[in-house]
Amino acid sequence: MNIQGKGKEQMTYDAIVVGSGISGGWSAKELAEKGLKVLMLDRGRDIEHVSGYITAMKEPWEFTHRGRVDNQTKIDYWAGVRTGYTANEEHRHHFEKDIDHPYDETRRFDWIRGYHTGGRSLMWGRQSYRWNERDFTANAEDGHGVDWPIRYKDLAPWYDYVEKFAGISGSRDGLDVLPDGIFQPAMEMNCVEKEVKKAVESKFKGRNITIGRVAHLTAPTPEQAELGRANCQFRNRCMRGCPYGAYFSTQAATLPAAKKTNNFTLINDKIVYQVIFDDEKKKAVGVKAIDQNTKEEVEYFAKIIFLNASAINSAWIMMQSKSKTHPNGLGNASDQLGRNIMDHHLAAGAGGKYEGFEDMYYYGRRPNGIYIPRFANWGSDKRDFVRGFGYQGGASRGRGNNDGFGADLKNANTQVGPWGFNIGGFGETLPDEKNRFTLTDKKDKWGLPIINFDAAWGPNEYKMREAMVNEAANMLEAAGLKDVTIYNDAEKSPGIGIHEMGTARMGKDPKTSVLNAHNQVWGAENVFVTDGAAMVSSSCVNPSLTYMALSARAAAYAVDELKRMNL
Amino acid sequence: MNRRDALQRVAVLMGGAISIPTLIATMEGCKSKTAAESGFVLSKDYQSLIAEIAEVIIPKTDTPGAKEAGVGPFIETMLRDCYSEIQQNHFLKGLETVEEESKKLGSGFVALKPEQKIEVIKTMQTKSNDEAAKNEEKAKQVDAETGIVKESAKKKEEAEVPVPFFKLAKELTLFGYFTSEPGATKALDFIPIPGRYEGCIKLEPGQKAYAL
Repeated sequence: MNIQGKGKEQMTYDAIVVGSGISGGWSAKELAEKGLKVLMLDRGRDIEHVSGYITAMKEPWEFTHRGRVDNQTKIDYWAGVRTGYTANEEHRHHFEKDIDHPYDETRRFDWIRGYHTGGRSLMWGRQSYRWNERDFTANAEDGHGVDWPIRYKDLAPWYDYVEKFAGISGSRDGLDVLPDGIFQPAMEMNCVEKEVKKAVESKFKGRNITIGRVAHLTAPTPEQAELGRANCQFRNRCMRGCPYGAYFSTQAATLPAAKKTNNFTLINDKIVYQVIFDDEKKKAVGVKAIDQNTKEEVEYFAKIIFLNASAINSAWIMMQSKSKTHPNGLGNASDQLGRNIMDHHLAAGAGGKYEGFEDMYYYGRRPNGIYIPRFANWGSDKRDFVRGFGYQGGASRGRGNNDGFGADLKNANTQVGPWGFNIGGFGETLPDEKNRFTLTDKKDKWGLPIINFDAAWGPNEYKMREAMVNEAANMLEAAGLKDVTIYNDAEKSPGIGIHEMGTARMGKDPKTSVLNAHNQVWGAENVFVTDGAAMVSSSCVNPSLTYMALSARAAAYAVDELKRMNL
Repeated sequence: MNRRDALQRVAVLMGGAISIPTLIATMEGCKSKTAAESGFVLSKDYQSLIAEIAEVIIPKTDTPGAKEAGVGPFIETMLRDCYSEIQQNHFLKGLETVEEESKKLGSGFVALKPEQKIEVIKTMQTKSNDEAAKNEEKAKQVDAETGIVKESAKKKEEAEVPVPFFKLAKELTLFGYFTSEPGATKALDFIPIPGRYEGCIKLEPGQKAYAL
């Protein structure tokens, strides 16, 4: 077919990467560096590194509502406002208007999207943790979901590889539960954090507090400097886009690396909705897309295809990719496609006030906090739920205040206030095939099917949340925090962690999984899925570093297989 | 533990200057269904009145006051764009009350002497505190019936309880002032590009709190 008036040859590449977020950026960089002609397609607009970050250098008073959400935004970003921060004025333009991209919910799902070059790598939380050995055996141990087809040792060298390039700052702590990586210098804890760390580690055997491991440069390597990346400036305005390229994003890191190869083409505004499968060749030959502005249909062709459109959208594309060989959607003989949606459940924790260190302060706005690795169901710790949780949090000083008004109030508010300390849990969720999304008969403005979510936290997560709250309070009280208060916001629903995953899981058997051990689609082995969709379990640590490692590993395998003429 | 309690605790952690409805507005946006067609406009008199009230809350000292920081127009913008009609009307009623209380002292608020202005705002503060106590009582009754977060949130949506006038005027004044250029750069320590992080430094005399 020749829709665009261009010959098929002009529309043909060695590899197509669908999506330009964290995993897509990695897939494209790796494939291009290995000599393949790579086409990256993104459904959204282009955002240029630095010049495209329109609010990056704005000060608070330059925002009409000083960052807050207005009534119209509440309507436009009806899902985004559920997070409490993504729809804020300073970075709202990096998130999608939910009214333009509607979805249905049988049970509430908080789906937060960013359709543009870089995807959510522009706005991510940047916390970067390796999974541990048991994260890969957890499903086999307790029988939830299916077993991972790989183990920590399979991914360890790839963690090394991506950490070196991305730049992860952190401290090496020698903990089994939180394997060390290749780190740039750790950010510092403040006085109160150091004190709470001492107290918790001495009073609770097996518990540790470390500084958050984050994808921020604190000592750029020559390779990073050459890509134009610089040290973190401690402005903490990351989600607006970093003009220093200090945190890892597609724009700052993988995109310039891919461009350097001269093997790389990025085309924006193309909504890929289908993988074209050739029933005779028994392989995929390309993708179909719609231009988001002109609604023109277009096809691109390649030897291999990487789906990195995000957990939900990669599975959404596969569901629409029906053929004689794959009548139920691409690789979906198991009927697992779109199922087992996982995320991290959060908004449960505790906070308090710290008395002491009144004469101490800090300098700079650290875009990071402390991390308390999982201790529940670890070692001798046994619980009435399975899996575990970690905490993120930290200490800071606000401004003073008083009840009145006038010069006294003003003066109090210019003074440095008391120390507060807050930690919130991030809990592992279990794979459950009843947690799923499906395609509805309704169409969006491009005529593409609207998604319906039907997922919720389960009994294990609710039990875990009680422990998340209680253990947070226990530790803070033991560390001498005063006025310790707890919170457990049960309104927050799956999706809220913006760590959605599991919708096209890897596995050992095409009867129970969608992808094999190399992220290849069962029955369409020249299609790779290396975003959150591939995850078999969720661990309790932030997943992006693992997506990076899976993508780099799969890309290397794909190129080897191409050379062996196996694809 | 319900959502309101949770937010109350967050409010405490944040220094207590922010009321729960404002936190909800911050975190979730406001509840108005008529955002686009909000017809909220203030008369010139009311514009001057708000600016004057803000200046009493944050007066000019050795650093600029609320007026110089444009807090009056800012409050109007926020009321128009970010708050519900119920809250807007409640605030307007508060402005009327300010004028009524002022006239008891001889004139409209703007023309009062500085100490008379303070007296009127004190009266408004007392009224706000009373109103807040009553609201708290009502909220407690609702919570006792249900106990769980979802139910209490549902009820909260059904009958929005507006923030008392002085309370909202104060928090919007504080927020508007300390995020304004004069407020952030002259009344606080404003460091746009810190360049580094140091976790433990001595708090030197005269060190002001950091602007955001």
